[in-house]
Amino acid sequence: MSDMLAVRQLHAGYGEGDILKGVDVTLPAGQVVTIIGPNGSGKSTLLKTLAGLLPVRQGDIVLKGQSLKDLSAPRRVRAGLSYVPQEYNVFRNLTVLENLKIAREFMADAKTRGAAVISDELLELFPDLRGKFKARAGNLSGGQRQMLALACALAVRPEVLMLDEPSTGLSPKYMADIFETVRTVNARGVSVLMVEQNAIEALRISNTCVVMANGRVRMTAPADEVLGMKDLHSLYLGDARENAVAI
Amino acid sequence: MISFLILMATVVCFSAILALALNFQWGLGGMVNFGLAGLYALGAYSCALLMLKGGANTFFATLGAMAIVAAACGIIALVTLRVAEEDYFAIVTLGAGEMLRLAVLNEDWLTKGALGLTGVPRPLGEIIAPEHYQYFQLGLALGVLLGTVWFLNVIARSPFGRIVRALREDDVVAATLGKHVLWARVRIFAIGGAIIGLAGSFHAFYYQYIDPTQFSNIVIAYAFMAVIAGGRGAHYGTIAGAAIVMVLLEGSRFIKDLIPMLDSDQLAAIRIIIIGVGLILLLIFRPQGFAREYRLQVEIR
Amino acid sequence: MLQTAFNGLITGIIVTLPALSVTLLFGVLKFPNFAVGAMMTLAAYMVFALNVQLGWPLTIATAAVAVAFGGLLIVIDYLTFRPLRQRDSITLMVASLGLGFVLENIARLAYGNTARSFAIELARPFRFLDIRMNREQMITVVVSTLAMLAMYFLLTRMPIGRAMRAVSDNPALALVRGIESPRIIRWTWFIAGMLLAVGGVLIGMDRALEPPMGSSYLIAAFAAAILGGLGSPLGAFVGALIIGIVSELATLVIPPNYRIGIPLCVIALILIFRPQGLFGQPYIRK
Repeated sequence: MSDMLAVRQLHAGYGEGDILKGVDVTLPAGQVVTIIGPNGSGKSTLLKTLAGLLPVRQGDIVLKGQSLKDLSAPRRVRAGLSYVPQEYNVFRNLTVLENLKIAREFMADAKTRGAAVISDELLELFPDLRGKFKARAGNLSGGQRQMLALACALAVRPEVLMLDEPSTGLSPKYMADIFETVRTVNARGVSVLMVEQNAIEALRISNTCVVMANGRVRMTAPADEVLGMKDLHSLYLGDARENAVAI
Repeated sequence: MISFLILMATVVCFSAILALALNFQWGLGGMVNFGLAGLYALGAYSCALLMLKGGANTFFATLGAMAIVAAACGIIALVTLRVAEEDYFAIVTLGAGEMLRLAVLNEDWLTKGALGLTGVPRPLGEIIAPEHYQYFQLGLALGVLLGTVWFLNVIARSPFGRIVRALREDDVVAATLGKHVLWARVRIFAIGGAIIGLAGSFHAFYYQYIDPTQFSNIVIAYAFMAVIAGGRGAHYGTIAGAAIVMVLLEGSRFIKDLIPMLDSDQLAAIRIIIIGVGLILLLIFRPQGFAREYRLQVEIR
Repeated sequence: MLQTAFNGLITGIIVTLPALSVTLLFGVLKFPNFAVGAMMTLAAYMVFALNVQLGWPLTIATAAVAVAFGGLLIVIDYLTFRPLRQRDSITLMVASLGLGFVLENIARLAYGNTARSFAIELARPFRFLDIRMNREQMITVVVSTLAMLAMYFLLTRMPIGRAMRAVSDNPALALVRGIESPRIIRWTWFIAGMLLAVGGVLIGMDRALEPPMGSSYLIAAFAAAILGGLGSPLGAFVGALIIGIVSELATLVIPPNYRIGIPLCVIALILIFRPQGLFGQPYIRK
């Protein structure tokens, strides 16, 4: 089984210092990898860097054997990498339909571009969006917006889907829906890299769990193993306890 | 030749004072004053009118002009107190400056409109002999310039200055803080206004004749160039920048001698084009940008 | 008074073009561009050159210049603003101020300070319900309406227009949805250039052609864009009409020379009480 996405010794940051201090993560094809960790550990920064919103200072990102390091964010989308940010992840001033159209309009592949935006597949996965296509995205509820964001990310038919805390601020119903949708999407062949705070829910649909703290990967283990651990919280609550799981 | 240099040095001095005001309001207070030209005009006209119509002597006229421009700036800052975004503030000041220039042009019962005001007295003009005056003038200008630098530094380093710097760092914080802390912005802008009034007064003294064309928006281009060219080292850098800019621009007057077939309108246009291009080039090739300088410099101290 | 309101409406209609440019440019480039006034001036003089000096009909001259000017702005952006893309908005504003000086004075250098006018046939004004309307004003209404309709179509039906709105709404998200920002920026300048060229010609028809012609509409254009909500094209349109009418009606009570005070007051009031304007949303920078 080859690696779909490989992150090697990645360094990145906003200002003076690095937030990511040499991160290694692998996403095998067809799998779901969830990254957990305390606030400030660099999880979101990692996804942003992979998406192309932050420059790579050191290290590399390899997608299906191709280095993404020097590609701009839009080019990475064309290469097959799709990203859902944690917040502000839809164009609020555009309608739902326009959001979905935009996602596809600039893809290089004419077939993807031309395909109908509102397909059976879309409606099947996102029944909540039915009838709301003319609504302004900013007027949707939080849960509906998350669904729309996910739908947009999938509209480009990516090979890798990256999600930053998809369950943030969602009611339990929507949370369950989102994870169910991610599971379905994965079953259809999309590899998923997810950052989550709701570790348990996320790990239930994941193959592998990666724990990050302080800009580094602390541990990588199969998801079931991590789920089975007694004090899951100690895994990501504070560096003082990192001794318990340090490698 | 010496005369020319002395006079140019004098112009550099009060232009530098104006640039310092811009640097102070923007660098410390985070408020970009795009209305600088109009406020400068207000200062010059206030000073001149206080002397010509009000009979004040140069000292009190200067103080009066400083107070008037400070008040004008205070009002502008008050009105925009709740506007934290610097873009919007810039637009408002641009508009305010325009209004002031319009007022100067249109209220000709007071300002003689486009004709301008002549015979503006100057400090100790009666007492000092004309052949020695330029030296005195330069000395006075230098003294006032250095005094201004000292004064602005004192403010920047005071607790008041620290509060303002903190406000400037974070617009969001500024928007949520209490009124009396936001007052600090008004005071900074007003203090800068007083400095502008000071520079305007000197302008009036130096030229002894003022009209609206002296206060076009080119003024703010000069000031920006001085502040940007100066870059590092806040105040002294700004002064050096003012000197460089003035030399280049006054020097460009000699283009007239090189290209005799152009008429004066066209020459004026060429000079302004050079200024505009110069400003853009300075912005591109001065990678530090100017606001950062001030902050960095003051903190190192 | 009705005549005054009508004149204000015409002024407002003229202002819609630069106001829309201001809002489009602000939405995509995230800074207020103070050169738009001078851009209108320069474009108007370019049309003058074709129309008066080469004898082209005004419509053809305008169309030709509109396209050329759109291209010219792309080049100007490449030289002036692109090197400053990552800098703070004050830097960009100052650069736009400098650019404004350059453009306005290129016009002044070429044509001097005397007022000029386009070569158009004289026609008698006609009356309609007690309002006097001249031919130029008719043309202004027709041309602007067409321009607005075209813009509406572009922004809502065409991928480029949608992309412009998306970038305006959320630049970072636009990137990760596959929108290449340099391309969108080029298109935005091209469209703004066309709008400004047409706007310049309308101003030249309404008043005379002289170097400060465009800049005198700068504050009004900004007031309109801010009133409508920076970044909202519909807002710019509505804002421009309101500003035009209110400014003109205000001259019934205040001296006409201070007309510019009205847009200024509007800006100040909006920024204090409702910074996002009528239709705007608090936007997301970078």
